[in-house]
Amino acid sequence: MSKTDPVRQVLANLILETEAPYTPDGILREFLAIHDKRLSVNELLKLLITISVKRPNFEEVTAEIRLILKRKDPMYALLVFAERYSEDGLSLRSSPQSNDMTSVTNSPLRGKALPDVHASMASVASVSTACTSRGNLADTESQGIPTSTPVNSRRSGDPETSSSGGVFARRRTLQPQRHQGSSKEERDDLSLIKERVLNAVSSPSMSTYRSLTSEAASGKTASTLNTAAIPVVTPTGVPDEYRTNLLWDYYKVDANQLPKPELAAMPLVSQQQVILDELLHCLTGVRENFVVPIAPDPNRVGLARYETVFTVHAHLDRSLAELVQEVLPLASHFMGIQKIVTATDGQGQVIDSLNEALQELTYDFYLLMVQAEQELRHQQLTIQKLLYYMQPTLWVMEEIWTTLVDIQLNGHRGAAVLTLLHERIKRLEGDRSAQKLIIGLMRKAAEPYMQMLKLWIQKGVIVDRNQEFLVEDNEVIHRDELPEHYSDDYWEKRYTVRRDQIPAFLEKYSDKILRTGKYLNVIRQCGKRVMPTQQMHLEFDPTSERHVTVINDAYYFAARMLLDVLLTENDLMGHLQSVKRYLLLNQGDFSMQFMDACEDELSKNVDQVLPMTLENLLGLTLRLSSARNDPYKDDLHCELLPYDLVTQMSKIMNQKEEYWQAQQRLDLSGLECFAFNYEVKWPVSLVLNHIAISKYQMLFRQLFYCKHVERQLCKIWKENAIAKKFSPQAAELYRSAFTLRQRMMNAIQNLEYYMMIEIIEPNWHIFIEKMKNVENVDNVLRLHQDFLDSCLKNCMLTESSHLNRGIFKLCKICLKFCEFIQRSQRFFLDAELKSMVCDSTYDSADSSDSEPESSHRPQLESSLDPADTFSERVRRFDLEFTGLLISFLKQITHMARKNTADRFMNLVHRINFNAFYSDQMDKLCVKDAMG
Amino acid sequence: MDRKDVFFYQADDDHYIPRAVLLDLEPRVINTIMGSAYSKLYNPENVYLSKHGGGAGNNWASGYSQGDKLQEEVFDIIDREADGSDSLEGFILCHSIAGGTGSGMGSFIMERIADRYPKKLIQTFSVFPNQDEISDVVVQPYNSMLTLKRLTTAADSVVVLDNTALNRIACDRLHIQNPSFSQINNLVSTIMSVSTTTLRYPSYMNNNLIGLMAPLIPTPQLHFLMTGYTPLTSDSDVNNQESFNVRKTTVLDVMRRLLQPKNMMVSTGPDKTNHHRYISILNIIQGEVDPTQVHKSLQRIRDRKMAQFIPWGPTSIQVALSRSSPYVQSNHRVSGLMLANHTSICSLFERALNQYDKLRKRGAFLDQFRREDIFKDSLDELDDSRETVDCLVQEYESATREDYMQFSEKRGAGGTVDSKSEDARSAGSASGV
Repeated sequence: MSKTDPVRQVLANLILETEAPYTPDGILREFLAIHDKRLSVNELLKLLITISVKRPNFEEVTAEIRLILKRKDPMYALLVFAERYSEDGLSLRSSPQSNDMTSVTNSPLRGKALPDVHASMASVASVSTACTSRGNLADTESQGIPTSTPVNSRRSGDPETSSSGGVFARRRTLQPQRHQGSSKEERDDLSLIKERVLNAVSSPSMSTYRSLTSEAASGKTASTLNTAAIPVVTPTGVPDEYRTNLLWDYYKVDANQLPKPELAAMPLVSQQQVILDELLHCLTGVRENFVVPIAPDPNRVGLARYETVFTVHAHLDRSLAELVQEVLPLASHFMGIQKIVTATDGQGQVIDSLNEALQELTYDFYLLMVQAEQELRHQQLTIQKLLYYMQPTLWVMEEIWTTLVDIQLNGHRGAAVLTLLHERIKRLEGDRSAQKLIIGLMRKAAEPYMQMLKLWIQKGVIVDRNQEFLVEDNEVIHRDELPEHYSDDYWEKRYTVRRDQIPAFLEKYSDKILRTGKYLNVIRQCGKRVMPTQQMHLEFDPTSERHVTVINDAYYFAARMLLDVLLTENDLMGHLQSVKRYLLLNQGDFSMQFMDACEDELSKNVDQVLPMTLENLLGLTLRLSSARNDPYKDDLHCELLPYDLVTQMSKIMNQKEEYWQAQQRLDLSGLECFAFNYEVKWPVSLVLNHIAISKYQMLFRQLFYCKHVERQLCKIWKENAIAKKFSPQAAELYRSAFTLRQRMMNAIQNLEYYMMIEIIEPNWHIFIEKMKNVENVDNVLRLHQDFLDSCLKNCMLTESSHLNRGIFKLCKICLKFCEFIQRSQRFFLDAELKSMVCDSTYDSADSSDSEPESSHRPQLESSLDPADTFSERVRRFDLEFTGLLISFLKQITHMARKNTADRFMNLVHRINFNAFYSDQMDKLCVKDAMG
Repeated sequence: MDRKDVFFYQADDDHYIPRAVLLDLEPRVINTIMGSAYSKLYNPENVYLSKHGGGAGNNWASGYSQGDKLQEEVFDIIDREADGSDSLEGFILCHSIAGGTGSGMGSFIMERIADRYPKKLIQTFSVFPNQDEISDVVVQPYNSMLTLKRLTTAADSVVVLDNTALNRIACDRLHIQNPSFSQINNLVSTIMSVSTTTLRYPSYMNNNLIGLMAPLIPTPQLHFLMTGYTPLTSDSDVNNQESFNVRKTTVLDVMRRLLQPKNMMVSTGPDKTNHHRYISILNIIQGEVDPTQVHKSLQRIRDRKMAQFIPWGPTSIQVALSRSSPYVQSNHRVSGLMLANHTSICSLFERALNQYDKLRKRGAFLDQFRREDIFKDSLDELDDSRETVDCLVQEYESATREDYMQFSEKRGAGGTVDSKSEDARSAGSASGV
């Protein structure tokens, strides 16, 4: 209180200037003291001279004061003294900044200002009287408006139009009076302030409030001048930015100095009257005399930043003071709310909407104030009554205040605000009225959010300037620009959920919400119109789960529609069947025929393979084989990839492009590089996207390669069948080669069986079964991906296990063996058939010393490798193959022991069905254990 | 999706004509066919009857000689059909081994096909004579022996249809006291049809003849396959208790039953020493099968050691899941055919050897053979055939042992006996893929 006293200010300035050993309070005390205890006139004068000695005009002033002191009360003299020194403004030069402001603002308002502000306060009262009709209306409606919550009274009040009209009318009638009274320019500023007060009291909605503020901001130059003159830090310590020059916030209008009634001198009833008046002002943020806010600490944090602490004048009756203290938190909370509302203006739709709701509450609160004031004017208000009226509002305001502060302190915006409100509602489970209020606030605050949500789930459109909605559109490129990879990323990346922007009550449904709009967008991209069937009423209501039903309905609608588009109109399953037929070799006759046709071309080096030839042969095969009835056969194309399967795997797994582009393709045959490609259009490409096709291709290449090996083995089987014409002795010579071939065949075929019959087919079966109950496209995608991943994993096509290298090596050795047998074939054909002609009954099976043998066999062997005989070569192949196979089986067994979920072990069981390899595997085990 | 073009070509929208050639030296069987409902099925140009119509008189040598004489006309037909095939993979011959035409002429045609089409496969469905009844063909052992040699050397795979087993199955399993040819033929046609089902309803594997045969036949000589089929029911059986039980079959049930000798279409006699082994097995399972069951069934069979396998190489039970024809009504949810290479097949050859030796020792009934060109100078061909078959038996016997790889046949002395023969059909038909 003392700090804001202008007299004290001036005194303090002077003391500071002269460095006199006094305090402003001390001086005041001397002047205020009663006659017999007072110092003599001369002494008082001397005191003043001491502090004002540095003033240039000090002699004139001293003379004037001397005269006054002799004739009038010393206090009057002091006031004049203070006035003289404050008037000349010279104190500015040397005084600290905080005092600075006081004098500046003081000067233009001096004199006339006091009564005028008083008049403005009076006009508040007059408005409240003018409001009587309205108040009475409300009174007749419900006697206890103050007891009911502001929201309720607001809801139950008259229609807005009529009340607002009334308010406008009142303001217009008031304006002429004001203009009559104000002659100077600064009056306009005051009138503005008055208008604001008026408006704050009676404004029915934000709109009028806003229009007035804009008027205030733009219309009156003086007001801007005035605000410009206001220093950065207000006496209350609130930085100017928070004030946004609209809030009273106990702003100290220094000239607003009513001659303070001496409280102690009043009877209790009058004290109450005065203090009630002050309280009511205080509740609306107007600074008063006896209830004064303590200047806040600029460094406070947390709740305290939005709290105002008041001191009640010490002379006030204790009992009254106690009651006043009880009401004061309301003022603090109310002002805190106002501060936050103005501070957060324009921080996104949710906050704006919330603020709007709060403005309505504010209006209700002002209405309450008006009613209270009215009663006060009629002498019917006691502080107990006021407290009684205010009690529910107090709780409500406190609740709102803490909620808002929470939002503000955490910097919540958008959905987070809704989440916080939602939590509040849940926490207020016991407190019906407060809960109801917050529900109302939240419903209102959620409105724009729900509007966005509605647009999204109904039309798939996002209108979200402030990035508040839970779904984000990441559109970067247009679909036509990059058709190949577009579908890959589309599903995962085009629309994403902003995890931090999901209101808690939508958390569970965020996925559904995302999908709903996503589906609608896909449907639209398919060139279909999205026809929202039902009229949606999407409003948040914590008490009912209606919004959930609406979301669910919209979701099922969109999901069903897209599923229809995909499954029925675009025959996804037909496409998948086709892909399986060709890329997973399900249609064996086609793959056989294709291999027949392309074998020569594909056995060339990849650089010499002509893609056109392949494409032509493929077209021919498709038309000649049973595939000709497939409607999607034209989607199938040939592709020569510049890398082999092992490299492709790393491509899929690591997504590192450099890695595979650097690979050389010199030593790759067409067969190793070949893959089918299956091209589909939107929206099937959503499912059969680039990545999925790549996975299919990996499976294809492994299967195709194995199939190729099997064919080569079958080929030499057929060629070897000639051996049945050989003499039994000769047949024995080749038996080792035949059994080796059979072991190879067994391994390769079992591998194929394993992959096709035990992995792909059952997984496909499961996939198809699950697809029957599929609900949405995400499900389809997931199931399809699961199918592919499970196939890849169990076909040993995952990077972690290097099993597929083992397969590759096995295939290689088989192919080498086939080549070897084919080269040898013509030699031993010659040898055996001629020997049969020459001597069909020779008895020695020993090749080295028999006559016909020595003439033919060495020839065949020398052509291969002079050092090796045929049987030795076979034995070497045998050793190599068996070694590879055993270590391959070992590796699987080892892995199966670690991870029992995999089915790799089945392959071991298959290849080693009759325990043929068990001994060898055991031996290897022992060897491993030893070494 | 079925492939009709495997065995047929399309004449017009509704008509498919089998790529089959019917050959006989006497008109009885073919006339029956041409008088039946199926007469319009065949291309009449592919039905060949020798002009003199006297048949081969159940004499292998006669059939063989006539085949030689008629080969030009016969191969006109066969070559025409072969040229008409888009991608000919092989020939399938159906014949009996004990009579005259099927065995003699069949052997001749087979040898010629093997010469003319060395890169094509030859598979035969060969009907072996019923051992349980006295045949009126006395030279049956000779005929069998001579045919067996050709089957060993010229055919790539032989599916043995043993009349003994077929009759036994008809009596014991189907409860038919005196099974007619058509009832037996029903069994045979089922087997032939199912064994080619993976060709006609292509899926992942076994889509061509070679892919079907190669894994079953490890070394060229061991190419005599036996078949098993389940469930075995006749038309009249539909309502009785057994077939009712059969209908609830699982994959394991089918696979287990297929391993039971009583369901085999070959009667190998009791294996007293229990040393015979499976060289390879292919199960073709039709019907509504959960593919995930297959592995479990295989595991069970493996764990319970329900099948004995050769010790000298890796083998397993391959399973091909196939659709059944939508045109043929079946009472059974799941049915299965087993194509197996089992060493006990050699007991059939041993039996033939025994009967041959008995007859040959006495030198009985050889006159009618000496009348033909091939035996004009000597009966070496007979002894040579016996030796080939003997080697085959030894090979099968040794295949039961671990040292099969090191085994070499001993050429034994030939013997002579006699016998007789009787058979159901003698139409050699060639068909290509």
